[in-house]
Amino acid sequence: MSRKEKRMIKRQQKLQKRHEKLANASRFTLWRNSRPFWGATLTLLAGLMILYIPIHLFALAFTPGSYAILGILFGGLILLIGILAYFYPQLSTLFGVVTIFLSVLSIMGALGGFLIGTIVGIVGGSMLVGWSAETVTISTDDIDQKKKKKVEGDQSSTPASV
Amino acid sequence: MGENALTVGQVAKKKFLIALLAGFLAFGGIAAFFGLTTTAFALPLGGMGDFYVELEELKGEGFRLQPQVAETGSTDAAPMVRNMIDKVEIKGLTIYKDLKLPTGNWIRVNIKAPSASIQGLTQDAQFIDANLSLTDMSIEEKNTDDFTQNWTQNAGTITITDAKIVTDYLFQNFVSLNGAKISIESIDGPEVIE
Repeated sequence: MSRKEKRMIKRQQKLQKRHEKLANASRFTLWRNSRPFWGATLTLLAGLMILYIPIHLFALAFTPGSYAILGILFGGLILLIGILAYFYPQLSTLFGVVTIFLSVLSIMGALGGFLIGTIVGIVGGSMLVGWSAETVTISTDDIDQKKKKKVEGDQSSTPASV
Repeated sequence: MGENALTVGQVAKKKFLIALLAGFLAFGGIAAFFGLTTTAFALPLGGMGDFYVELEELKGEGFRLQPQVAETGSTDAAPMVRNMIDKVEIKGLTIYKDLKLPTGNWIRVNIKAPSASIQGLTQDAQFIDANLSLTDMSIEEKNTDDFTQNWTQNAGTITITDAKIVTDYLFQNFVSLNGAKISIESIDGPEVIE
């Protein structure tokens, strides 16, 4: 068996394991799993951090020629991307690239949210770029059998009541 | 026999690391550019109480002065003046701030630049000790409840020499400090101007 095939099998096993875990998960966990949740959350946080400085310079932001308006624009766009990433997971790569780009540019006009916003934005954007979803199909009989085995295992390990 | 289909999302390590590396490279590049040219966009300095600005000569275009009430290191609302200058060229600039360490000792953080150019300067000052020279000066009064517009002083150009300004807020749209040096020295106590 070649290395590539071994890697593919390992990946399939990993996906199946996650599928089994998710089979009995709550609705929120299922919702979270079908979209780039952590990437979107970090992007949202980065947007808020980047908006912090220009919002404090609100009085100056709208004076002609002020760069503070750029900070509001960059921070606002990152915030918007963070929200959109929850609802349009299929566009996560595009959202990720734009988030990284805007986070780096936010040094102008917002000091990148004291640079922390920029760093969080780069990490969040990278998570969005790296995210992908796969549909895993497993026979329900297999799941039932595994559940049965698990229940039997649990019962045998439970101490008998006196 | 039934089938159960579920969407399983995951972050691919390789893609994530490539994107992260690219992001930090771009970040490093832009930080190095601004660091090497000592240039900053939309640089605010404020919220840390009084700090001092000293300069040998300042030449500015498009000067406006208006009353301002703002928070300082010691009070919530102190009277001051807001200077706004569109374009500024400075020679012999020193900005310093006295800070108390947790040990009780005082230090002074100095930022010195032989020359600096600024666009879009806004400065709230409590005290100005300087030689001023203004051209095309006009003083305007407006019958308005907005105290910042009630009285304004405008000038086409302004030249300030040997200035010492107690500043509480400084904002620059674009600033370039040529040959800037940052140093820290120990001092006996903070400078106080009565």
